[in-house]
Amino acid sequence: MRAVNYNPKLRLQIFLVLIISAIVFTIFGGYFTRFFIAEIAILSIFAMSLDFLAARGGMVSLGHAMFLGIGAYSTAVLSIDFEINLILTTFLSLFIGLIIGVILAYFIVFLDGIFFIMVTLALGEMFNAWVFTSDLLGGSDGISGIMRPDLSNLGLDIYNPLIFSFYTLMWVLFIYLLLARITDSALGRNLDAIRQNINRVSSLGGYTKYYKIIAFSLSSGVAALAGSLYVQLNGFISPELTHWTVSGEGLIMIIVGGIGSLSGAILGASIVHIIQHELSNIINWWMLIIGVLFILIVLFMQDGLWGLIEKIKHKLFRINFK
Amino acid sequence: MILDIKNIYKSFGSIEVLNDVNISIAKNECIGIIGPNGAGKSTLFKIISGGLRHDSGSIIYNNNNLNNFSNEKRARLGIAQSFQKNSLFPEMTIIESIMIAITHTSNLSFNFYSLMFNNKEIYNKAIEIVNQIGLKNYAEQKSETLSYGLQRQLELGIAIACNPKVLLLDEPTAGMSPLETQSIINLIKKLSLNYSIVIVEHDMEVIYNLANRIYVLDRGKIIFNGNVKDIKSSKLVQDRYLGQNNE
Repeated sequence: MRAVNYNPKLRLQIFLVLIISAIVFTIFGGYFTRFFIAEIAILSIFAMSLDFLAARGGMVSLGHAMFLGIGAYSTAVLSIDFEINLILTTFLSLFIGLIIGVILAYFIVFLDGIFFIMVTLALGEMFNAWVFTSDLLGGSDGISGIMRPDLSNLGLDIYNPLIFSFYTLMWVLFIYLLLARITDSALGRNLDAIRQNINRVSSLGGYTKYYKIIAFSLSSGVAALAGSLYVQLNGFISPELTHWTVSGEGLIMIIVGGIGSLSGAILGASIVHIIQHELSNIINWWMLIIGVLFILIVLFMQDGLWGLIEKIKHKLFRINFK
Repeated sequence: MILDIKNIYKSFGSIEVLNDVNISIAKNECIGIIGPNGAGKSTLFKIISGGLRHDSGSIIYNNNNLNNFSNEKRARLGIAQSFQKNSLFPEMTIIESIMIAITHTSNLSFNFYSLMFNNKEIYNKAIEIVNQIGLKNYAEQKSETLSYGLQRQLELGIAIACNPKVLLLDEPTAGMSPLETQSIINLIKKLSLNYSIVIVEHDMEVIYNLANRIYVLDRGKIIFNGNVKDIKSSKLVQDRYLGQNNE
């Protein structure tokens, strides 16, 4: 697999522009804008998990919405049935996603290309079918009444959209810093090497399966965190969140933003979600527009919006960023 | 002996590729393996490195029988190889490629903390190797942008970075100009002071320059072994390989 953007400096620059814009809109925006920013923040975390998996791990998953679901349902069950503190529940959801990721990865990471995609798709659909019929998870009705973490000790009301928006942006910052650190470390560079030439890494003594399991499980944990935040935002979870089309939308976001750039995933999530929202207010065939946009990007801009920004910066400053 | 290859047999279906192959390599010795195309040289290399399983026989390395060892484990024990066709990391710079090789054989690959935060130690080691293989001026250049000759040098550098005891070099000068070939010969000569080397090569000048002992493989069988002088004077080798090679 190719088409991977790696430029730590530009990555940070784009991230700073995006996070500062989000903070400004959160502060000066109204109720709806703040809710919208929180939605984008959660989608960005999900997109970063897919981006890390695709670019560093070299694995494209069509079943990653399963981990969104695992995080969301874990949060719902742990907080409602077991009455566990929501902050602890958020971390536990991430951890549960990570552990299930390790177990699944052990059996599937050796698969290549289309086989990996199809197996993840099958796993995702199996999970979706299971939650639809599970009494424990509320079946097709889902689970409602999920609360948000209690931050009153800090003098903060989490039900204030401004506070919740900042809470989700804090998670975006944390996940970005974590994944960027891993990407730039020896671990990330080894994952990159495995994606480029797996046989060579084996011949150098690298246990490639071990590395791919790390990438898959980390990505699963991050996706589960996004799921947990999703139910905290909406107070409700239904099986639709685990459908494969949600994974597909996540992939569209990272392709639009530019695969492998991490901040491109956040950019892609923001742009796609804004277009989806604005277009759906005007026309009911908005999916067609998104589809055409996606095809144009795949055909003419394989580095996504990241690549476009890189080109513009290059033209403006005459500096080669690659 | 650091590496003892004993009674190796390998066949693909009804085609016998290796038939009772025996080769011994002493510490810091440079062994050459020659033979016509299809003689089984590359198959033998794959079997030594663990990329392919043999049907019977044994590979003894430092008193360990490697028969059931994976290629990753063999590499970690000190058997490194460079490939006939460049097998690099195209999007990575020279220094990054060398760092990848160092990570796996310096006990860092299971240390999560080091993998996350300790790049400095690996980087310094990589710089040493880049200097050693003479690619200092290209250290920050991506592998895919290098000339073929420099890529061959990097191929060798990646193998050395594994901190090997035995180096398996599959046609290290294939496709190179006479000048580039000479520079690779000089590099391997320097390396042979510290490593045991097994080299497969069609260019007899390279073999004569480097090998202490030469094995001639023909249709899966070792038909002769000896030093350069023995090889040059052997009528059997002249008839079976060198005569054909000189045509």
